[in-house]
Amino acid sequence: MNYERSTESNDSLRHQLRKLSQELSGNKIELRHTSRYLQCILQNSNDLIFATDVDGILVSFSKGGERVLGYPGDEVTGSSVKVLASNSDAFESLLAESREKGGATRLEFPFRHRDGRIIYCDVSLITLTNTEGENVGSVGVCRDITLWKRLQEDLIRIDRLAEIGRIASGIAHEINNPLAVVNEISGWGGTVVADAKGLSDEDRRELEKAFKNISEQTRRCRAITHQLLGFVRDSAPSMSSLDIHELIRETLNLLQPELKFMALDISLNLTEDPITVRSDAKMLEQVLVNLMTNAVHAVTEGRPDKGRIEVTTMRVGHEIRIVISDNGKGIPEEDQGKVFELFYSTKPPGKGTGLGLPICQNILKKLGGEITLESRPGAGTAFTVRLPVS
Amino acid sequence: MSRESNIKVLLVDDEQTLLEYLSKRLLKEGFMVKATFSGEEAVEAASDANFDVAVVDLKMPGIDGVETQRRLKQVQPLLQCIVLTGHGSIESALESGQQDAFKYLLKPIDYENLVETIKEAYQKKVELQNAKFREQVEEIYRAGMGARGIKKAIDELRKIYGIE
Repeated sequence: MNYERSTESNDSLRHQLRKLSQELSGNKIELRHTSRYLQCILQNSNDLIFATDVDGILVSFSKGGERVLGYPGDEVTGSSVKVLASNSDAFESLLAESREKGGATRLEFPFRHRDGRIIYCDVSLITLTNTEGENVGSVGVCRDITLWKRLQEDLIRIDRLAEIGRIASGIAHEINNPLAVVNEISGWGGTVVADAKGLSDEDRRELEKAFKNISEQTRRCRAITHQLLGFVRDSAPSMSSLDIHELIRETLNLLQPELKFMALDISLNLTEDPITVRSDAKMLEQVLVNLMTNAVHAVTEGRPDKGRIEVTTMRVGHEIRIVISDNGKGIPEEDQGKVFELFYSTKPPGKGTGLGLPICQNILKKLGGEITLESRPGAGTAFTVRLPVS
Repeated sequence: MSRESNIKVLLVDDEQTLLEYLSKRLLKEGFMVKATFSGEEAVEAASDANFDVAVVDLKMPGIDGVETQRRLKQVQPLLQCIVLTGHGSIESALESGQQDAFKYLLKPIDYENLVETIKEAYQKKVELQNAKFREQVEEIYRAGMGARGIKKAIDELRKIYGIE
């Protein structure tokens, strides 16, 4: 009986063993599939996916991480994850916080690219635990949102600019009326003085000069309010076919009366073939006048030698470029971003309104083009206008 | 005496101080000037006396510059209107162009420019007046020289030249 029984249980054990090993190999295959699947995600995701041990030491760094931050995986695995962050202390406390909280944390965090740039990432931090519930490390999935961030900042900037514009135009309108009154009063004053009897020659000269100065200053105010209102007015460009080289020459003619007494050389370096584009002639002329005026100011500002301005045109692919370069004192790197800001000016009072370049930028946006600058302090500045070829 | 002494100018602007000084200057220049401080007042003035050129501010409380101009033209069809506009109101200015404004000038106005424009507007009025005169004379010839025809024609001419 016993023997029989044991034979029976032997059989059943063997059976169970076979079943288990079948199950096991099934699991193995499944595991291999899962691992291949995960590997595939890790290798092909554009996101930076990393894993750290409990001390924050990187144990895995995805291919996407190399694309986002510029480090090859084998260069950073083994070092602490906080070297990737732009502020390592902040990142470390973040990791600790997420570990304490457990589960997943989602937030925005700036990392630093291998070349030093800040890379903004949308980060998901997941705390890893083993079956006993012990913390064994973290996994992070980080998406590069730098471009999106910059876009967002641009939008805010444009919004703010529009708001400033609206406020400024309201003020300009209100200022215009009393300005007109002052203008008339000073004109009348001038007339009265010219006719007055019993004034000594000296007094007459003094008063005439005073009224002339008042008129001149109101003219200056008017130039500002008109320019400002012109900036805010949202007129659609009227497109026509125009010859860029002709436009450049016309603009120079326009400025000729001002330029002829100045010690500077203006050279044209234009392509041999004429360049024709569909654009708004008046708007482009305004851009050229503003850029030329700036260049003239830049090269005549307290220097003993002759200033040089060069106007260059070129065709590059589907765009044309007009480069206006000067050998003035240049713009310090920290100020280069500010020159397109409304009311930013480095010119002496009365010479610059801080409107010229924002107007240029605004116009080029309307015309589907772009304006950029390159400047080296001490060497000069070059503004490049890009326009699409029709 | 300068030719400006013949030009009768109607000024319309709610900015009283501005008109006070502007009229003084224009008077000194030799123009005949009437200052009014609203569209309504201007239309009333125009039904009492004849003017050659009106200088009308676009933005006024009550009836605005465009409407003022329309009503002035109803009373005096040959009157030339110069419309003063703020920079942002180009659209309304163009609309007033459709109402036959002679020209629109940006505020604050440049005085010399205004004087020039008033003279040009006056020239245009004189030309229109002369054309109308020729038309009327031809009409008299066509109608024959009957006493009633002549009287009627003279009345017409009075109206054209604004002789009361």
